[in-house]
Amino acid sequence: MRYYETIYIVDPNLENTLVEKTMDQIKNELIKTKASIINHREWGKKRLAYPIANQKYGSFILLQFEIQDLEKMKDFETWLKLNNSVLRHMTVALKEKPDKYVEKSVEIPIEQNEVSKELSNIADNEGNEVVESVTKAENTSDVELSESSKEDE
Amino acid sequence: MAFQNKRKFCYFKENGITDIDYKDVKLLRRFVNDQGKIMPRRITGTSAKMHRKLVRAIKRSRSIALMPYVENNSE
Repeated sequence: MRYYETIYIVDPNLENTLVEKTMDQIKNELIKTKASIINHREWGKKRLAYPIANQKYGSFILLQFEIQDLEKMKDFETWLKLNNSVLRHMTVALKEKPDKYVEKSVEIPIEQNEVSKELSNIADNEGNEVVESVTKAENTSDVELSESSKEDE
Repeated sequence: MAFQNKRKFCYFKENGITDIDYKDVKLLRRFVNDQGKIMPRRITGTSAKMHRKLVRAIKRSRSIALMPYVENNSE
């Protein structure tokens, strides 16, 4: 029982629905081999370091799974090779069980909140300072007024 | 160049990295010259153990088109 990671490149010009369709096909093919999928996600559209099938860009998809029957995995590999929508694929054995991928978009708003809190704190401080200076100004003006009133007297 | 006029040290030992991921192109780019060739240990100062892992990672990322086999060839 080992963990594997397959990375494959799909034609970037395909529509999102088609990409999902190929992902589903690959998922179903892998389930046939009694593998348990841990992660299956799009890694993003990237520029290829060299053109493959006259394509300069490719959308990378990452697939991590656990498999017991290695004979069936060979079939899966050949099936991937024959699949026309997959430009290239590579399977690598993993040392440890991969973590479940959690979308980072959940973390970002929290950070933003913190930043906004800090900003609001700064704003508050500034506001207080402004208020203080205003009060000082009022005091000074009062003093001046009183002085002027004294002079009048 | 990043490695000249500096005390040589193993980047991975210094930063406590034990495994190199072939997907980490930003890291791997540091150990490749502008032609895309893997730089020798003599220049980068990488320890022998980590250099073997590094080479494996770079070759893997080449085969999946994340890194080039050759680059900046004279036109």
